[in-house]
Amino acid sequence: MLAHISTFWLPKRGSSLQEYEDAFWVGPNGDDEGEIQQRSLRVAVADGASESMLASRWANRLVTSFGTARNAARTKPGFMAAYREAVSGWDDQVLKYMTDRELRGAPIQWYEEPGLAKGAYATILAVEFSDGWQDRPPAWMASGLGDSCLFQVRDESLYASFPMNDASAFSYQPPLLASRGADNDALRRHISLKASDWESGDSFYLTTDALAAWFLRAVEAGDRPWETLRDLDTLDAQLDFTEWVDEQRDAGGMHNDDTTLVRIDMC
Amino acid sequence: MYSAEISRANPTSFVFLLDRSASMQDPIGSGEGQRKCDVVADALNRLLSELTVKCAKEEGVRDYFYVSVIAYGGSDAGPALSGTLAGRDLIPLSEVASSPARLETRTKKVPDGAGGLVDQDVKFPIWVDPVASGGTPMCKALTRAHSVVSSWLNDHPACFPPVVLNLTDGEANDGDPTIPAEALRRLASADGSALVFNLHVSSDNSSPVSFPDNDAALPNQFARTLFSMSSMLPDHMRTYARQQGIAVSESTRGFVFNADMTSIVQFLDIGTRTSDLR
Repeated sequence: MLAHISTFWLPKRGSSLQEYEDAFWVGPNGDDEGEIQQRSLRVAVADGASESMLASRWANRLVTSFGTARNAARTKPGFMAAYREAVSGWDDQVLKYMTDRELRGAPIQWYEEPGLAKGAYATILAVEFSDGWQDRPPAWMASGLGDSCLFQVRDESLYASFPMNDASAFSYQPPLLASRGADNDALRRHISLKASDWESGDSFYLTTDALAAWFLRAVEAGDRPWETLRDLDTLDAQLDFTEWVDEQRDAGGMHNDDTTLVRIDMC
Repeated sequence: MYSAEISRANPTSFVFLLDRSASMQDPIGSGEGQRKCDVVADALNRLLSELTVKCAKEEGVRDYFYVSVIAYGGSDAGPALSGTLAGRDLIPLSEVASSPARLETRTKKVPDGAGGLVDQDVKFPIWVDPVASGGTPMCKALTRAHSVVSSWLNDHPACFPPVVLNLTDGEANDGDPTIPAEALRRLASADGSALVFNLHVSSDNSSPVSFPDNDAALPNQFARTLFSMSSMLPDHMRTYARQQGIAVSESTRGFVFNADMTSIVQFLDIGTRTSDLR
């Protein structure tokens, strides 16, 4: 496939760039952008929960694990294996963080201890795009837990939406992947899977919740939100992501939250 | 209404009123338990601790809230925190977090990973100690809170409405507290009126009551007065109360009688909440 990839991200207003707690991974190297030509492409997006400690590190750990795992977007066992992989090294990462703090004379404070004991939390969305093969059309498969979303646009209409379909369903309490691990049955119940086809000219928008809710609200109002997202940072429109998100936040159209967009245009 | 974000860019304030009058020396409930002053001091320390932990991120506590603790007893009402926090009306939460009077170690039961519970030592910050002497100038405390909240709203007109929590046995002796409480509830940001909640500790040995929607089960006039002074819970707070197993209706008020009220910290939204999958 030949695809053009653009990524956009912005922390919540009032937060520094270092406090951004979403994460994204675009294969094959994790930080790919621009034009790529591959037989398959993996992308992962995660949103670290604000009410948890080390959420950014956990979100980054999840997207790396889901971006590199072979079947994470394809099957529930593949999803669970990628999750187990992320959980397995987490305690060491936390221990290292605590040791580093100690070494630089800023030891963990009493108010950090409960959060560190509880662990970090994040949503995940993993997508794998693949070329057609023999009589099979080009396809994508996605897995997700929480409210990070994929939107597929074809011929000026929304062709697929995953896993959220309803703007009113966003809340402060999405299901989340915990760094401490999860009960397998509960995990299985909460994983969403979807597979569909893609064709040349399709556009995909992978977003975290603030932008996803804005997108679905616009669709529900009969608008075409992809027209705005398509123009971001293009030579034609000169529309800047940061300025545009700020305008939406000011107008009350978008929740003030870390905001992430991975746009994939299939050529 | 009651939908403004609470963030460092748009913080709100939390005002605690702490009854330190002589009657707070009496025991709560049946007479065999703790003194009322022990209960409210412990409740306030736990509320401040929960609020701090909720806003804690690595490297610090985010100032989503500015906190005021006003004690009333004798004939006066004024700031109650000590050390570097002494004498200050509204303090950024990060400063409250870094300056408790002392840290104690308490034992807490935690899951052992095999279905059982084990004891674990946890640090517990103490900002206020039990004090009980003199009269109960509750009207003065509510008037002081009015001035603190009013000044806050002048500077933060679009904030999530400030919350005022009064911890008391209700035995005001400087007038009718419903009048200054009503004035306090009339203060408003663009997002709604200030919320006045009451935690009532009583020597009355009646059953505890949490977040009632009428005063029928309340055993005495003090409880009924405090109930009448309390704001109704906004929509989203009722939802969180319901999730915690509390029966609520549209008339549910921010009031408890001889019961825990730490849960109100969890009624406030500062971002994505965390819970394990079920």
